[in-house]
Amino acid sequence: MKTVLNEQSRRNFVAQVESMLHDKLSKCYQCGKCSAGCPVNFEMDYTPNQIIKMTELGMEDTVLNSKTIWLCVSCNTCSTRCPKGFEVTGIMDVLREIAERKGITSKTEKEVQMFHEVFLENVKSHGRIFELELVGKYKLKTKHLFRDMFLAPKMLEKGKLKMHGETISNLNQIAKIFKDFE
Amino acid sequence: MKLAYYPGCSLKGTSFEYEVSLLKILEAMDIEVKEIPDWNCCGASAAHSINHNLSIALPARNLAIAEKDGFESVLAPCAACSNRLKNADYELKRDDILKKKITNSLEMPYDSQMSINNMLEFLIGVVGKDKIKSMVKKPLTGLKAASYYGCLLVRPPKVMQFDDPENPVTMDELVSLTGAEPVDYSYKTECCGAINSLSKPDVVMALTGKVLYDAKNHGADVVVVACPLCHSNLDVRQKEIERKYEEKIGLPVLFITELLGLSFGITPKDLAIDGHMVAADRVLKKIEELSK
Repeated sequence: MKTVLNEQSRRNFVAQVESMLHDKLSKCYQCGKCSAGCPVNFEMDYTPNQIIKMTELGMEDTVLNSKTIWLCVSCNTCSTRCPKGFEVTGIMDVLREIAERKGITSKTEKEVQMFHEVFLENVKSHGRIFELELVGKYKLKTKHLFRDMFLAPKMLEKGKLKMHGETISNLNQIAKIFKDFE
Repeated sequence: MKLAYYPGCSLKGTSFEYEVSLLKILEAMDIEVKEIPDWNCCGASAAHSINHNLSIALPARNLAIAEKDGFESVLAPCAACSNRLKNADYELKRDDILKKKITNSLEMPYDSQMSINNMLEFLIGVVGKDKIKSMVKKPLTGLKAASYYGCLLVRPPKVMQFDDPENPVTMDELVSLTGAEPVDYSYKTECCGAINSLSKPDVVMALTGKVLYDAKNHGADVVVVACPLCHSNLDVRQKEIERKYEEKIGLPVLFITELLGLSFGITPKDLAIDGHMVAADRVLKKIEELSK
């Protein structure tokens, strides 16, 4: 692991994260309470408190390419329990957003990342989610065509899968929101 | 007071049972809500995961439309939607620069005066326990119900401002009002895996398995939820969880609106209980027998 870092790039990265986070990384005193309560810690390569420290140390490549940032399901257990009130869940959002902006595709968790992307494309196209189209496009993109397909017949029978989606009338406004903030 | 209703996408699709049962019990209680005209998706977990500003702007449009139409209060039955609407409201109150950008983009003002209610807040706070109690015609005495809150109703507490984040009781109180017995178990606020249902099914099943087996081991006949994502992960994937862990669960998962509806004497069919993947027949039969 590369641990010798350039001080200026470390400062730049910390400043970027802190300004997006509206919080200070130095608040964290590494008690590990966030990681102890994390429901998905068993799948992560770095625990949440390690991610915070590595961000503070400027280990940009490591955190942006970690499995952890994509495995976090934003359940907010960590932030709720943090004795310092640090935005632990928030830092995962910030790091994912930086990774996304830099065009970094997760090597190990690309399905999670793709799901978010396909989801937002669906919102952009209709203003609302059309579930069948969302699932179809996600499957095409990830090439997991048959996973979960055994659920489809019963879901159709139960009326859970609608064949037509709804599109909002003022789709121009949604297009404008995406143009201004994407 | 004019009450706005923000259904969100799930209630129009995979969790249609939630909307059907909600509208039924509101009709029974003579409470009128009006759907926010031309509402859009709140962006759910995807937006905040990769684009903060978008995750505020999308729900903000719904809040601004509701405000423009003269509403002061909005009901968002989906826990994820209510969470995102509250988050947007919170951010718009604390970040003036972002608020200006968003209201400019929407070409609509937003005053941040909207009261945003999740399903449980609405039932306890707006409808009131007395009203609900007066509606119970067919008490579910003897039925054991495990309330599952998940994450988004209670966390993060500084934004949600609702119940106790580690040991919430609101849904248990509603369960008691129906005459059913709330089950005390350990996983009521543990995460179900939420949005990763399709992308990380094994992780989701590990999480939901814990919830379901623990509820069952504490004697639950049924699990009660107030979130379409929780419902989907506990109900749609339950058969698969049973196969994975080689142990039968067979726990029907009902929305709180369905449990209330049953106690009001509304038929299971009218509450769309037959829309769930795990059949609730055994529980419905037990309710019938208990009421005799």
